Amino acid sequence: MRLGMVIDLDRCIGCRSCAVACKAHNAQPPGTWWNRVFTPGSEEHQVAVGTNGHLQMNFLPVSCQMCDNAPCEKVCPAGATYTDERGVVLVDYERCIGCRYCIAACPYGVRQFNWEDPHQAKERVGYQEGYEYGYPGDYRDQDGRLVYTPNRPLGVVEKCTFCVQYTSKGEQPACVRACPSKARIFGDLDDPDSEVSRLIQERQAFRLKEELGTSPKVFYLPPTKPSR
Amino acid sequence: MKKNSKMMLALASVILVISLIAWGYQLGNGLAVTNMRNPFSWGLYIATFAFFVGIAAGGLIVSSSVYLFNIEKLKPFTRIASLSAFASTLGAGAMILPDMGRVDRVFNVFLHPNWRSPLVWDVIVISTYLVLTFLSVYVQLLPDWKRDGTGFLNGWTKSRTQEQVDALAKKWSRRISIVGLPVAILIHTVTALIFATQASRSWWNTAVLPPDFISVAVASGTALVLVISLAAVGRERFSEYQGAFRNLALIVAGALVVHFFLVSVDLLVHWWWGKPEGLEVLSLVFGKYGPLYATEILLPAFTMFYFFSKRGSSSFNSLVGGSALLFIGVFAHRLMLMFPSFNAIPLSLSLPGMGIENWAYPIATGQLKEGMPVFASSWSYAPSLIEYAVALLPFGLILFVVSYALSAYKFAPQKR
Repeated sequence: MRLGMVIDLDRCIGCRSCAVACKAHNAQPPGTWWNRVFTPGSEEHQVAVGTNGHLQMNFLPVSCQMCDNAPCEKVCPAGATYTDERGVVLVDYERCIGCRYCIAACPYGVRQFNWEDPHQAKERVGYQEGYEYGYPGDYRDQDGRLVYTPNRPLGVVEKCTFCVQYTSKGEQPACVRACPSKARIFGDLDDPDSEVSRLIQERQAFRLKEELGTSPKVFYLPPTKPSR
Repeated sequence: MKKNSKMMLALASVILVISLIAWGYQLGNGLAVTNMRNPFSWGLYIATFAFFVGIAAGGLIVSSSVYLFNIEKLKPFTRIASLSAFASTLGAGAMILPDMGRVDRVFNVFLHPNWRSPLVWDVIVISTYLVLTFLSVYVQLLPDWKRDGTGFLNGWTKSRTQEQVDALAKKWSRRISIVGLPVAILIHTVTALIFATQASRSWWNTAVLPPDFISVAVASGTALVLVISLAAVGRERFSEYQGAFRNLALIVAGALVVHFFLVSVDLLVHWWWGKPEGLEVLSLVFGKYGPLYATEILLPAFTMFYFFSKRGSSSFNSLVGGSALLFIGVFAHRLMLMFPSFNAIPLSLSLPGMGIENWAYPIATGQLKEGMPVFASSWSYAPSLIEYAVALLPFGLILFVVSYALSAYKFAPQKR
């Protein structure tokens, strides 16, 4: 099994619901975003770009690209970042030494560091007292490695896990479920009959920074909307 | 102990205490007390680390060249060279620790090493170099310790005669130097490979980086040996060793020629093809970070010409001055490893037909704070006060080790 995702940019309306659902379900500390949506070419999201009256506005959601040839995993001195048996790149919160080499290595800017203690950060920012969000339990892989916890330790790196706490039980990631326009499709790339495999074969799927050879498992279907 | 060295030790202790307090504060509050954030995740600490790895080289390169190439003139300075190498390596190793988010877990690197990570190899070669430079200092001091009945870890020499210890020290100094030279070259190669292997960062991703690190290391490491030797010999006895000093200055200048050659080739390759990524990095190097880049280029260039000249390489003051300018330039060089690299965001896109080239995809900064953007496509990093204080750690450590060693044992060349 090789879990992957297809994002249909024709369907994406740039609403950022996926980013919000991701942040809430995964208990991301203030200032940390595993999933982002921006309007390529524009300084502000949801602002069209173009020249001579030919305007265009597309949206590009970016989270961990789950590379088959993942630079973050290769640089990690302690093997805290690893790829599990389903092809998901994960971070062991108990092994990470916080050297941030992976942040320098990642071409997609998806890795996030816990610069301050998440609990203190929530307090400092003024989140309502007692308001706890995110999947409440820890999740450990079959070797007992802690790859999800709502109480993130200070000084470790984190990123998208394809919602390991859900997808390990056969459920869909939070971003896929939250998308109002069904732009995200999640599935097994090894299965030629899965919807993800079919879409990649039938449509002109592309991957980000293909030239770097990182071989991501997140595929994009290009927007076909004409500029106007 | 002389009054002078007591003052140096006191100064070193003050610096050490300041940096340790700052580090303690950082441990309590997280790396948020630095000005690094997700878009700019390595800063002053890694630059300082790279700087000290650089100057750590000179030591064994000087002692090795005495044995390998028979540069007899440098022989009186092999002890000081080894000491400066040991102290700088210790400083470099110490600097890495405060950069770790979880310093309490660094043992994971030894428990679960990932052999594909250049960082693991860097830990191995730097530790090896630390041990070798320590042994180098140790064996060179053994004959004195035997004669004066001082020193440590030398109980085993009691049963041996002075002649035996002398011969032993001579034999092992030579052996360590021969093993040490390839290790000295490796610490720069591997440290450079930490950066050079990263295809996501075009400023780093060049095969020129390892040889350039070596050339800078030979230049700055030799300059450090030069400065420490000058301090040890003093103005009064300067003329006695003038030949050796001139040789060291020529090594510095020659290494800088190689460095500038490699820098020119690197810049040319970045520029020639005209890739948006390459041009973006160059516009950062010559634009936003132009003043720092000028420091990196002009100061060492001046030292190079100055040390080639008769005037520059033959007076006490000119040698110290030229070396100081070089250190500033090399430090700027290490900082310039970070600035353009982190401000050229790897995920940048071009939109065909829209006139948009190299649009940087914003990165979440990692901290929600008044006046700070949530997402950023560039980060104007400047170290915080705490960062400067923590980065004093290797300076304090090196000053402490060197001034203690110089006051306790004989490192300066003996009167002839």
